[in-house]
Amino acid sequence: MIKHARVLALIAVTILVVMSWNVSAQDQPTTTVTDDDVNAIAHELYCPVCENITLDVCGTAACADWRDEIRMQLEAGRTKEQITDDFVQRFGDRVVGTPQDSVLRALSLVTPWVIIAAVLVLVGSMVMGSQRRRNKPLAAVQPPDDRSIDRYQKLLEEDLEG
Amino acid sequence: MLAEIGLVAVFLAFLSSLYAIGASLYGERFARSEAVVLSGRNAVFVTFTLMTIAILALQTALMSQQYQIAYVWSVSSPDMPDFFRFTALWGSQAGSLLFWSFLMSAFAAAAVLLNWRSHRRIMPYAIVYMMTTLAFFVALVLLFENPFNRWWIIPTNPVDQQVVQAGLTPAGGVAPAAQDLAASAQGLNPLLRHFGMAIHPPMLYLGFVSFVIPFAFAMGALASGDLSTNWIKATRRWALVAWLFLSLGLLLGGRWAYDVLGWGGYWGWDPVENAAFLPWLVGTAFLHSVMIQEKRGMFKVWNMFLVIGSFSAVIFGTFATRSGLVDSVHSFARSDIGFPMFFFWAGITIVSVWLILWRRSRGELRDEHSNNSLLSRESLFMLNNFVFVALFVAIFWGSFGAPIVSELVMNTNITLGTDYFMRVTPPLFAALYILMGIAPLAAWGKTSLTRLGRSVVIPIILTIVSLVFFMVGGLSTPGGLIAYGIVLFAGWVALYETYRGIVARRQAHQEGVLQSLTALFNRNPRRYGGYLIHFGITIIGIGVIGSTLFQQETQRTLAVGESLNIGGYTLRYDSLDNGQIAEDGRSMDIANLTVIRDGKELAHLRPRRDFFPQTDGMNTMTIAGSYSTVENDFYVILVDWEPVQQNAATFKVYINPLINLVWWGGLILIIGTLLAAWPREVLPARIRQEVRGFVPRTA
Repeated sequence: MIKHARVLALIAVTILVVMSWNVSAQDQPTTTVTDDDVNAIAHELYCPVCENITLDVCGTAACADWRDEIRMQLEAGRTKEQITDDFVQRFGDRVVGTPQDSVLRALSLVTPWVIIAAVLVLVGSMVMGSQRRRNKPLAAVQPPDDRSIDRYQKLLEEDLEG
Repeated sequence: MLAEIGLVAVFLAFLSSLYAIGASLYGERFARSEAVVLSGRNAVFVTFTLMTIAILALQTALMSQQYQIAYVWSVSSPDMPDFFRFTALWGSQAGSLLFWSFLMSAFAAAAVLLNWRSHRRIMPYAIVYMMTTLAFFVALVLLFENPFNRWWIIPTNPVDQQVVQAGLTPAGGVAPAAQDLAASAQGLNPLLRHFGMAIHPPMLYLGFVSFVIPFAFAMGALASGDLSTNWIKATRRWALVAWLFLSLGLLLGGRWAYDVLGWGGYWGWDPVENAAFLPWLVGTAFLHSVMIQEKRGMFKVWNMFLVIGSFSAVIFGTFATRSGLVDSVHSFARSDIGFPMFFFWAGITIVSVWLILWRRSRGELRDEHSNNSLLSRESLFMLNNFVFVALFVAIFWGSFGAPIVSELVMNTNITLGTDYFMRVTPPLFAALYILMGIAPLAAWGKTSLTRLGRSVVIPIILTIVSLVFFMVGGLSTPGGLIAYGIVLFAGWVALYETYRGIVARRQAHQEGVLQSLTALFNRNPRRYGGYLIHFGITIIGIGVIGSTLFQQETQRTLAVGESLNIGGYTLRYDSLDNGQIAEDGRSMDIANLTVIRDGKELAHLRPRRDFFPQTDGMNTMTIAGSYSTVENDFYVILVDWEPVQQNAATFKVYINPLINLVWWGGLILIIGTLLAAWPREVLPARIRQEVRGFVPRTA
């Protein structure tokens, strides 16, 4: 009987300790969001009002409000991706450095490489074409050897260089 | 009176530039009259004189506070220091367009003066192109952005239209009272009240304007049919000068952004920055490619395209940043100068490309030699050109292409920011640095892999040794090591090649090190100036990698006496000097901070926020406080997005490793460019001495 009473007492104490810990934990803020946490997300988002200024450095009152909003969303437990998605949904793809919409993203990231490849093909074909049309085959040119060139010719070359 | 003098001078300059175009073209092409051609040439000098009068009139109006002139009223105020009154000349659209035109006229006059005798056949056509560009910009000044417009009150107009701006006195117009105008004058945009703004815009304009000269010579060569390498010889130095000014403009712009914009960086991939960077990229490609045409008579068509590309990029950049295109593709139509600039840019580009294709179709741009090896300096330079063009494409697309296409085609507004540029450009920059290291080691015509391999052994060993030092210093990330390795290799090649030159001269001439180095730069300034430029770009690269990959930042609100720790430093907030009033009327909030490391006080910083109460729109400036060493910048901004009180303030702190190398590398680059571009005597001293020895003295 005493043994059972001890077990019950132990359980009761454990429950009380757990409850009191829970209560004290609830007294604390659920999360601690720092300015750095806010800026880490704000740095990836562009001001919807100004041009090409990220939210973390924009000095307007509107941007200050949006930074507060990021803080509140972080405090509410939302992730970076969720917050970014929320901003994109409300203000469009212009608020991110690279669009999230798959078509726009592909257009943005793939197109320059396609153009570069096209330029490469164009330049390559021009070079190949001029190779075929060449009317003066070239012998390999070695760098001039000072000792083998006539002194006056060398001086003349220097003169021409100027 | 100053307004009338300025306006009449600009109008006469416009007429004079039109006369220069007509006389040069008619005299050379149709009348074959030397007298007419010469009168066209002289009109260039007259235009320059008139533009000088116009710019002096506006500058005098600014310095003597003639607020009756609307431009003076909008960019200056009675409490502004004289220094900023002077720089207000280019502080807004109308003044900067006039300044642009003045510089253009000065460069045109200098080009005619220096090149008339040596390139007589090309010059009349070059004048046509230079003066067409000038006439267009002067027309913009006269018709759309007149800095000599004055304020007038017309009592007979409805109340809301009584105050108007006009160049000529309107019917019934009465000049407003001088004291009223002075009291309401706007003052210069706060962001432009910085020492860097005294130099940065003029340098950029000089860079932009001077690219017109190589373009005009190239077009002159196409139009005249003188397609030898003469135009290249005439413009090589002009292109280098343009590149020098543009480089200086970009560097100073970066420094201004770092000091004034308050975001801890110097390059934000902003379209306006990129618009200045694009002609720099094409110009750099041209400076490399032009060597091949000079030495081997190759890449003639390509060089023509590069010259047009640099000029076209200059005009497009000017159009994009001044027309509002950067904000939105629709806003440029709302800007007065949007359409004229677009049509000028498109017209001159189409005409130029047509001229190239026409000459090419006649077989007049055929290369004298062809490339017969993929492993030659020509091939590597071609590859280097291709990478420059690829960078141009990537940056142009990110800044203008994608936003315009998405808005026009998909009706969606997008911004491609740092995220895009940091995905696309690093591989291309890495390729450029690798080529910068390898290309100078390859021989003209053909080189063997073994020979090239032997040449790179010592620079590679030096690079590995340097990386070991970096690792000992704490660098451990693979990305950082690879990036530093690529950049260091290019720098070691430049240094090692210069060292080899010194050793060779010392052996041949028994000279001292300094004497050998001087002789090398004297004998071949382009080559060794080029190596110095490469070395400078290496130093810039090291700074960019350090400050980009390893930047640290934090933001905290501190009470007076509290501290924060970052990167081994401690920052203590000592006090706030709130509401300090400066001589020019701005209100300053200044924080007093102490930087501490290892218990030792290193510096006292005073970051501040300036508020300009009389200025509309953007009227706050964030001036950072920084403690600079070679190792890093400890950079602090006073943030006000939390309410700033006397006893608590919010600070954003950055540690920017190696950032000062960006500025030091820039200085080396400028010195290298000056050495490469510096005019030298046509005849080497030895020849002159020998000639003196042979020619009998008559006196």
